[in-house]
This record gives sequence, structure tokens and C-alpha cells, in this order.
Amino acid sequence: MLKYILKRLVYMVLVWVILSFLMFMIYWSVPTGNREFQEAKMEVESNDAYRRLPAQEKRALIEELTLEKQYANGTETNNLFVRYLRWLGFYPYHDGQPRGMLQGNFGYSQIYKKDVMEVVKAPMGNTVFINIFATLLALGITIPLGIATAVHRGSRGDKTMQVLTIIGYSLPTFIIAILFIWIFCWNAKWFPASGFGTPGNDFTGLKAFGDKMYYLALPLIVMTFCSLGGMTRYVRASMIEALGMDCIRTARAKGLKERTVIYSHAWRNALIPVITLVVGWFLGIFSGSVMIEQIFGLNGMGNLLITALNAFDFEVVLFLQMFYVTLSLLGNLIIDLAYGLADPRVRVNK
Amino acid sequence: MAKKKDENLNLEEQKLEQEVSDVQPVQEEQPQAVLDEQANVTEEISPETVAESSDVQAPVLNDANKQADGKTKAKQFFKKLGHVCKIVGGWIVRMIWGASKIAANDFIKAEKKFEEAQKAAEEEKALEEQQALADAETPQEDGKKNKKRKKAKLTDVEEIVSPGKQYVKAFFEKKLAVTALVIVIAMFLFVFIGPLCMPTYTDLYKASSQAYLPPTVSMLSLPKELDGHIKSISSSSFFTVGLSDTGNIYIWGVTKIGTTKIDIEKSIPQAVKDAKIEYVAAGTDHIVAIGDDGTVYAWGHKELGQYIENETDIANQETNHNIIMMPEDLRMGGKIDVANVKKLVCGNQITAILMKDGTVRVWGNTNTYRNASKFANKGDKFYDIDVTRTSMYGVTYDQKLLVNYEANAIKLKYKMNDVASADQDLVLTNSTILSLACANSNLAILVQEASGKNRVLFSGDFGEGLTDIPALGLTRYFTQISAGAEHYLGVSNDGYVYAWGDNIHGQLKISEKGDGKVSTVYAEAYQSYAVSSDNKLVEKSGLKGYIFGTDANGASVFKRLVNGGRMTLTIGAVAVIISSIIGIIIGVISGYFGGKVDMFLMRVTEVVGAIPFLPFAMILSAIMSKLPIGEDMRIFIIMVILGVLSWTGLARLVRGQVLATRECEYITAAKAMGVSELRIAFKHILPNVISVIIVTLTLDFAGCMLTESGLSYLGFGVTFPRPTWGNMLNATRNLTIIGNYWWLWLFPSIFLAITTICINIIGDALRDVMDPRTNKR
Repeated sequence: MLKYILKRLVYMVLVWVILSFLMFMIYWSVPTGNREFQEAKMEVESNDAYRRLPAQEKRALIEELTLEKQYANGTETNNLFVRYLRWLGFYPYHDGQPRGMLQGNFGYSQIYKKDVMEVVKAPMGNTVFINIFATLLALGITIPLGIATAVHRGSRGDKTMQVLTIIGYSLPTFIIAILFIWIFCWNAKWFPASGFGTPGNDFTGLKAFGDKMYYLALPLIVMTFCSLGGMTRYVRASMIEALGMDCIRTARAKGLKERTVIYSHAWRNALIPVITLVVGWFLGIFSGSVMIEQIFGLNGMGNLLITALNAFDFEVVLFLQMFYVTLSLLGNLIIDLAYGLADPRVRVNK
Repeated sequence: MAKKKDENLNLEEQKLEQEVSDVQPVQEEQPQAVLDEQANVTEEISPETVAESSDVQAPVLNDANKQADGKTKAKQFFKKLGHVCKIVGGWIVRMIWGASKIAANDFIKAEKKFEEAQKAAEEEKALEEQQALADAETPQEDGKKNKKRKKAKLTDVEEIVSPGKQYVKAFFEKKLAVTALVIVIAMFLFVFIGPLCMPTYTDLYKASSQAYLPPTVSMLSLPKELDGHIKSISSSSFFTVGLSDTGNIYIWGVTKIGTTKIDIEKSIPQAVKDAKIEYVAAGTDHIVAIGDDGTVYAWGHKELGQYIENETDIANQETNHNIIMMPEDLRMGGKIDVANVKKLVCGNQITAILMKDGTVRVWGNTNTYRNASKFANKGDKFYDIDVTRTSMYGVTYDQKLLVNYEANAIKLKYKMNDVASADQDLVLTNSTILSLACANSNLAILVQEASGKNRVLFSGDFGEGLTDIPALGLTRYFTQISAGAEHYLGVSNDGYVYAWGDNIHGQLKISEKGDGKVSTVYAEAYQSYAVSSDNKLVEKSGLKGYIFGTDANGASVFKRLVNGGRMTLTIGAVAVIISSIIGIIIGVISGYFGGKVDMFLMRVTEVVGAIPFLPFAMILSAIMSKLPIGEDMRIFIIMVILGVLSWTGLARLVRGQVLATRECEYITAAKAMGVSELRIAFKHILPNVISVIIVTLTLDFAGCMLTESGLSYLGFGVTFPRPTWGNMLNATRNLTIIGNYWWLWLFPSIFLAITTICINIIGDALRDVMDPRTNKR
């Protein structure tokens, strides 16, 4: 088992390196203009002491300043490979010190004028908060629903649910969001349409939490609703699979109560695929919430990604991208391991 | 994204189980497959080898004459292409029709030939026998026996039903799936044939007066009570006001103005209903009327100086320096000398009254009409006035001069000799101006020449695609002209309507109609009305309304929906084709060859699968917007991105299926016959996996459409002005738009949702039908 995990981890690192290299190359192959030069020029022009200098001296000064900035940013070379290694932290900067990701430097946001880590902190917290809530809500609804439809397979209720769930997973998130905003914000006026709390509030403790939940209610409802279709179908399918097993027939033949058969025997077997689904789904939801955050104006990772993309704040985008990649790779590993843990018949280290 | 993951997991799980339990169904299908292959192999070998040998020979021939080189190469290419098509077509036919049926058909053909030959032989025999005068009973008996044998064979063959046919039959038994299929086909037809019916559609269409109109078809429906009593019709945007000869006012079209929810029809003041109205004119958001006692009434919007109703309006408007306030003697129910009024004109937030003595009373927003104050203040006398969308024009009292007071007035480009220089005020020497008609960005004047005949002169930016003014011949001339937003109407002296200008809403359909009864024409906004001398409506045409409303640019949501649907479906289809080609090739190779190839390809699949889809596509799209490439190229690249990122699921699925299929006996047989590995992989194994592929393709198609819509919605896919169902929703980002303009998001959502739901239902039904495991339960 340990050997398998190690092997997978090594492999994960390899994939991560390939992907990060690809991403880095894609990024820096885009013509962006000489940012350092512009900044240096701005600095010189805005400084009264320098502005009156003759043109030639001024140019020399600008060039000097540009180079200085490039040394600091590690962009004085056009060799992308060197830049990539610097970004990772394997290659020293001009002053001989490596300042890459390995050293804990994840980049600097040009828009927020802050370290990327600081920029990302608050949105990350919000996204995790929303996602945990949405996952719990969705599970609470879909599992009983899936079991019920599987047990009453072929009944009228099941057939309606089948059609409803197809509709559920065929509808894109933004349509559901717009519809819900129209119903609950515009017509019923139950919830606010956007924001993360009453503007200018100074609530504390429970009241602050309540206010936050009031603002998050609609996004959470939409997220839960969006996942109902796919999840219910999945739970139903695995439950049907489990109900068709020989052991269920045996259990029924023994004369066990139907309730025991379903909840104790069948459900345990159905749980195996569901567990893996939950893990994968929870990780996948991070990038899935891009849409929700954008529509409801929540300060989350997805919204940050869109803002950064529109402003071409490369280092933030690169960091977010690598974050998503890492998450997805970790997700795959966890799914595989969970499969092995949940189902003793599957031997992961084979 | 989460959904995508679910699908993948689902498929993976299926694969796992299929490896364990699916051996049985494969075996069930096997006899069929063996039949298939045997027919296949025997069929193929001869034409294939022949084709190959000709391939080898061809280059030798080509060396001889190099000129024909390109041609023969192209020929060869098409030959190969045709060959590939034939093979693929063969699979599909075999899947639906069944190999046994084809074999049976071949057999029947051979039988027939044999029979014919036999008949001919019999006839010959008969002839011989007739000649020999022998009895003719024995050959007849033979024939009967023959027929019996044939019938027996036919029934034998028909009892075997191919799996493809079974699938089709089972599919058509599902009512829901068939309904969904019909809807999807209808949607495709609607979206691909629809644009052909709208040759006038352009992505960049703009009509600022038509922005944010709700769905309506009432814009041309002149009230019945008004017909027969029409005194005047006036409109400059989306509602039309009609005045009857009894002094009543009728309003039709979209009567609710914008978000303020002022209903211009319901807010008609009671005083107006009671009074007998002499003059009425409609602006873009207000209406002004003059009663027979000279009282000036106004209703509608008033924030930008359209009119003054009470003291607070005065206080509000005084602070805004761009407003010419309503004259003091007219405001708040003031009176005007009605006998002296010649013309009442309303424009975009402006009102002008021309008096018979040539003076002009003007009030309203000078932000839109910067020269308006000059008409009131300069003291010039006018014979006629009219307004375009941004400027006011007048004809001097001696009917010789067209006045605008602006440097950037519509340049006068007449094709006439006696007209003064191009960018000066127009001065006519030999003729007089009878009337002036202003459209949104151009104008026409009716001129009476010294000979007594009228003719129309024309000016402004008269763009391409607009109909020219019709030639009336020598004896006929226009007696009256009128201008709408983009088109003109004229009445000829013998009572016919003629129309010219923009025909995007069918305004010009009225042209050359009227049966000689027309005396007055009203070209109002996008509608045309022709009225006879006894105040009856003779003809009308033009914009009836927008069944799905209009967007922020005044473009019809319906038209954009149809054209956008074509884009959405095309992107979805191309992306799916790309992803399936990659997925199938990688899946089959990896599954069939196994070992290191499998290992490598599966690692590649995992790398691609690990890329988080939505963020990555967004990033690539954002980067592309920085590159200097055209919009078409960008859209194509979006298709490729979608395709290249979504093939992993299919590749895994195909690999799993191929792994199970390659152990079958007929593959061993094919190997023993010396068929090449690639051919076994793609020709012998792939057709047996094709049912799974079709299911995945269907579901992926819906997936790709949704992803494209999502990307476009976020602004990273296809961007404005090109419409897709996703980016039509892009505009609906805030609550006020979602709430007030529900038609902007509802209709695209419905179309997108119905299409994806139906495609998913079809895919689901296909899976049920084709997956033997679900059949069993």
C-alpha cells in the first residue's frame, strides 16, 4: 500500500511538472509589452528630481532602473527555461538567491500590489466555506432520494425523478442561477442578489454569521440544486447495482425485514462508489463554482480567476491554475485510494 | 465541472465492471460478429489488393507526365477518401441493416441471376422442345419447385434480426426518446434553415429607439375604431399614436416605457380624453397634443425637459442647463393659438410647434438636439420643420433654403444641377421646397420645379443595401412624402404608394400598392400606413413587433437566437467530432496494442484529464484574445480547445471495450489469416465498439454545448457581436436586467435547455437500448 502511494506520488509530481511547464510556456509566449520598462519610465517621469534631466541621461536612468527591476523579477533573460526554473525555485536569481515556489514565493500580483498568497487567502477561505456547505446540503438530499428511487424502481415516482434529474443535469448552472435570482430576488424578494454581507455592517459573533448565511443562502441553494441531478442518478445507479447482488437475494430469502435489507445490506455495498464520488465531486466543485461566484459577486477563487484573467495579472492566474491542477491530481489519488479502502476486493497496489 | 467528473467516474466504474462481467454479452454478439467478419474478409481482400497494386503503379505512371501529377494525386486522395467513406458507411449500414441481411441480399441477387439464366435456358429448351413437339409439363414443375425453395430461404434469413435493427426498434418504442429526437431534429432544422430565411440579418444591427422592448406583435395593429376616421398617425419609436377626425386619441404598440413602467396609453390624462384634439405627435418617450381650444397636453417621460406638469418639474429642470424649458405660456395646461398652428413635431425628448406665421416654439433636451435653441432664438421664419434622431431641420419661409445651423449637418449630395455646393445650406433658385421629411440619419425634400412638377431630393448617408427611390416616369410625380426611421413613403399624383430606403422589417412591402385611392401616407418609425381621402386605411406594412423582444442594441432576440443557435450547435458538433476522433484513435490503439504503448497513452490521457477544464479553457481563450487573430479563427480555436480537452473519457471507455473484444475468437481468426494489426484494430474491433461510442458522442455533444455556453456566458468564448445562446445571456448579469427584461434571458435559456435536455434524453435512451446489462434487468 505504502509503495503504491509513493509510486503514485512520484507520478503525480511528474505530471505536475509537465503541466506546470506547459502552462508557464503558454503564459510567457503571449506578447505583453515590457512591463518593467513602463514602470521604470513612470517612476522617472513622476519624480521631480529626475524630470528635468537631459533626455539622454533620463534614458540611461530609465534603462538602469528597468534592469534593476528585471533583476528583481528575474526576467532579465529571455530564456524561458531559466525563467521556469526560477519560478519553481531551482535556479538562482541575479543576486545568487533562488526565490521560487520552493522558497515559498508564489509570485506577486501586479493588480493588487501584494504577494499572491495574500491575495488568495480570503477568496480561498470563502470558496472552501461555500463548498463544504453545498456538499453537505447536496448529500443530505441526494442520498435518501437516490435510495428511494432505486428501491421503487420503475414506479411512477421513479420515472418522474428520472426525467427531472435529466433536466437537472442538462441545465447549465448559469441558467438555474438566473432563474432562481428572478424568482427569489426579484419576484419574492427573499434574498439579496449579490454580495457577501450587508454593506458596512459591524456585526459580531452569531449575528455576523447569520448575516453571511443570509447572503450566501441563494448561491448555496443554486449550487445544491445544480448537483442534485447528477448525484441522484449516480446514487440510484449504484443502489440498483447493489440491490441486484446475490447477497441481497440471500438476505431476503433469510426473511430479513425489507428495511434491514435495504439500509444495512444493500446500502453498504452501494456506498463504495458513492464515497469516491463524494471525494471527487468535492474537489471538482472548486473549479465548478467559478460560475456561481461570478454571478452572485462572491469574493471566491473563481471570481479572482476571472478578475485576474481580465486584467492579465499573470502570476495570480498561474498560481490559481497550478492550484486547480494540484487539486485535481490529489483528487485522482484520493479517489483511487478511497476505492481501495472502501472496497476490499479492489487491490490498488496490483 | 462537477457534472463532467460524475460522468467520467460513471464511465470508469462501468469499465471496471465490464472487464469483470461483460464477457457474456460480448459472447452473445459474437456469432453476429463472426458472420460480419467473414463477410468482411471475403469481401475485402480482392478489391483492397487491387487498389493497393494500383497505388504502387500510379507513381511510376506519374513520373512520365508531371503535369498530370497534381491531378492524379488529388484523384488518388479522393479515391482513398471515398474508400474510407465506403468503409464507414458499411459499418453503419451493417449496424442498422445487419450483416446477415446484406449477405441475404447478395444471395438473393445471385439467385435471381441464376434463375434468369435458368429461365433463358428453359425458354431455349422450350423452343427446342416446341420444335421437337415434346410435352411442356416437366419444366413447369421444375419452376414451381424452384420458387418454393426460394421462399423457404427468404423466411430463413429474415428471422435473424441484426443488433442494430434491434436497437433502432427498441429505441423507437421509447416514446420520450422519440419525442426528444423529433425536437432535436426540429431544432437543428430551425437553426440551420432559419438564418436562410433572414437575409437581412446582421450581427451588428443597431436601433437605439428599439432597445429593451418586450415581446409584442401589436406595433402595426391600428385600432378598428380608428379606421375610417384617420386624421393623423405619428410615431418615433415603439408606440404609435393615432388621431381620429372626431378628436380622439388611440395608442398602439409597446406602451410601457422602459424600467419606469409608465404606461403611455394608460396615463393619457382624463382632460385629453374629454377634449377634442386637433394635433398630436409622439416622441420617443412622450406625447404632445393640442386641443381644439388651444390647450397643450403632454404625458409620458418628463425628466429631460419633455414637458412641465407642475412646480416640482420646473424646479427639477431648472438645474439642468441642457434643457430648454417649455415656454411659460404653454406649460401646466397653457394655451396656444390653435388656428395659427401649422405643424406639431416630436423627436427624441424634444417638441417643436411650427406656427403659420413661420415662428417656431421649441422645448426639450438640447443634449440630443444641439441646434434646437437656434430655431427658436434666431428669429428666422420657417415654412416647414422636421427632426432626425439627432438634429433639427427647417425650410425657410420663402421655400428656397434648407436650414440646420450646424457645421456637421447632413451633407447635401444631390444629383441635381441647380443645387448649390455640397456642404452649404441648400438654396434652390428655380424651384421651391414643398415639404421636408427627416428619417434617423438622412432626409428627403419634396421640391416643386418651375414646370409645376414635383420631385424628391435626397440627402444623407444612404448606405448600401437600401432600396433606391423609384422612378415614376414622365407624367407622374409625388404629391406628398413622409419619413420613418430608415425608410420613406411617397404618394404619386395618381394615388399609389411608393416606398424606398431600408426594408429590414418589410416596411417597403407597401410599395406600388394602393389602387389609386391613396391620398396621404404615414411612414412612422418602422411602419408604413397609406390612407385614402375618406380617412380609411388602404394599406399597411412594416414591423409588427418582436416575438421574443429586443436586446440592449434594439436587435431582435428571435433573430439573434436563430443565428446564435447555429453557432452553438456547430461549435458543439465540431468539438465532439474532434474529441471523438482523438478519443477513438487513442482508445483503440491503447486497448489493442497494450503493453508499453498502452502505458504511455494512458499516462497522456491522465495528464490531459488532470487539467481542470473550465479554468484552463478560460485561460487559453483569454490568451488568444491577446493574439492578433481573426474572430473566425478564434472561434475555430475554441472548438479545438473544447475537443482537445474532452476526449479522455471516451478514450478510456473505448480502451476498456477493446480490451474485452480483442480476446474474441474471430480476432484470432483474423490474425491467423495474416490481416495487419492496424486493420484488425480499426476494422474488426472498432465496429463492435461503435454502439458505446455513439452513446458517448450523444452525451458529449450536450456537454460541449453547455461548456461553450458557459464560456461564452463568462465572456471567454464567442464574444459580441456574434451571437451564441451562451453569450446572449452574458448581458443579464445584474438584478435589474434579470428582473425588468425577462425576455432577454428566458428565451435563450429555454432554447439551450430544451436542446441539451433532449440530447441527453436521447443519449440516455440509447444507452439503455445498447447496453446489454441494462437490458437484462
